[in-house]
Amino acid sequence: MVGVGFRREFAEELINGEHIRPDFIEFAPENWMNIGGYWKKVLHRVVEKYPVLCHGLSLSIGSPEALNKEFLQYIKAFLNEYKVQLYSEHLSYSKCDNAHLYDLLPIPFRMDAVKHIATRIQQVQDYLQRPLVMEIVSYYTPVAAEMSEVDFIKEVVKQSGCQLLLDVNNIYVNAFNHQYDAKAFITQLPLDKVAYIHMAGHEQVAPDLIIDTHGEPIIDPVYDLFEWTLQHLQPVPVLLERDFNIPEMAELQGELSRLKSICHKQWKLKNELVA
Amino acid sequence: MNLLPDTYHIQQTFSAFCRTGEKVKLPGVAPDRLKHYRRLVFNMINDTMENAFPIAYNNIPARKWKSMVKDFFSHHACQSYQVWKLPLEFYTYAVEHNWEEVYELPYLHDLLAFEWAEMEVYNMEDIPAEPYALAGDWLETPLVLNPEHRLLSFSYPVHLVAKPKALLANKGIYFVLLYRHPETGNVEFMDLSPWLAFLTEQLVLGITVKDILDYAPQLHITDTDTLEQDTLNFLKQMQQQHFVLGFQL
Repeated sequence: MVGVGFRREFAEELINGEHIRPDFIEFAPENWMNIGGYWKKVLHRVVEKYPVLCHGLSLSIGSPEALNKEFLQYIKAFLNEYKVQLYSEHLSYSKCDNAHLYDLLPIPFRMDAVKHIATRIQQVQDYLQRPLVMEIVSYYTPVAAEMSEVDFIKEVVKQSGCQLLLDVNNIYVNAFNHQYDAKAFITQLPLDKVAYIHMAGHEQVAPDLIIDTHGEPIIDPVYDLFEWTLQHLQPVPVLLERDFNIPEMAELQGELSRLKSICHKQWKLKNELVA
Repeated sequence: MNLLPDTYHIQQTFSAFCRTGEKVKLPGVAPDRLKHYRRLVFNMINDTMENAFPIAYNNIPARKWKSMVKDFFSHHACQSYQVWKLPLEFYTYAVEHNWEEVYELPYLHDLLAFEWAEMEVYNMEDIPAEPYALAGDWLETPLVLNPEHRLLSFSYPVHLVAKPKALLANKGIYFVLLYRHPETGNVEFMDLSPWLAFLTEQLVLGITVKDILDYAPQLHITDTDTLEQDTLNFLKQMQQQHFVLGFQL
């Protein structure tokens, strides 16, 4: 299954399905909760047409403070109302000192942070009665790290029992920004826990820095890393994220088709080998 | 909580830098990379406010606008987990900190209130209307109004003109009705006279047109010869425009 991030800019094209036809859609509950009017009607139309996966923005699993129970109540009701098949969030924090920052801040790679986050993930999973799929985020500087990024992620998964969202572009961006080998990094991850893949474009803003923008097409090296990664995974849903500089639908469909073709090639081959 | 005080403090310091842009010392952090977090976070907040308040953004000198957004984001702890609701906090912060005087923009609060109301009414959750009949007695039967509306009063005609000079030259008392069209979802707004604003306010409470008209002399409305007919014409027009939905059952 290869899906696309649902954006208002091409909602009608998705509902129409003539120029773009993903297998599923994904959106952030925070962008659609508690709204009515025109966009609620559009949401109902698109949800009738496609299976839905949700990717949250405001859970802030890495926050020092307590979880927001009211927010979780809304999330639970929303996921149930729209029959959401998978709910993912970010391994980062976006709220501190009781203030939302609306961006993904890097958590210090430390064992106390692991324990803190693992406890919170378990609380969320228990409350929502569904597994939480945590995305490995792109980051531009480590912060007071006492362990490696990959050890941090492995410990969070081990202690919390969560699943992983592998954003292949994020791994490419992080490997470039922090000068490590993306394939070696991926190999060390608990790949049996990967439940979902994201793919996106990025922007290089300096000779040694890439920013994860979701505003450009996926570049060939990221496709190559994606294809390599699939050889190490069981089939899972794959999402194309495009949040800015939305191109013509033919271009987006072209990216979806290319992703689908790679999935088909790699996972069909793998299934044949298993058989 | 499993988090050690040191880790907690580091997260606070990092987020405080993102909010204020003021220099911080953080172990293991590359300063040339850190600045991108401040840039990305601040741009997101600034873009949200520009999109929510396009008229205000165009009216206010760039330096003042940037100062407002910086002040707001540095000192206000944003509470909404839905970013589209954040402009309400910006507007509230402006009023609480008397920005009209601080920035010498007497119409600022009215303008922010108007632009926020447009966004709020457009996005607000659906509110079911009471059951109603399409025909009835305009004078004696309580009317059912479109519940997805806001009735606002302003000192400056921010709903009629955009240019600052024209706003300042026309200080007065203005009433504006905003409502969401049930079919298109678009927000319609109209300037109301004080009488029609009073009428609308009373109709919302379920009072009949006849009872409201009886109250007119107490509002010092003495020219009552055409008041009833004008009022009914207005309401019939509003029925065509989907603000008056019908008559209570």
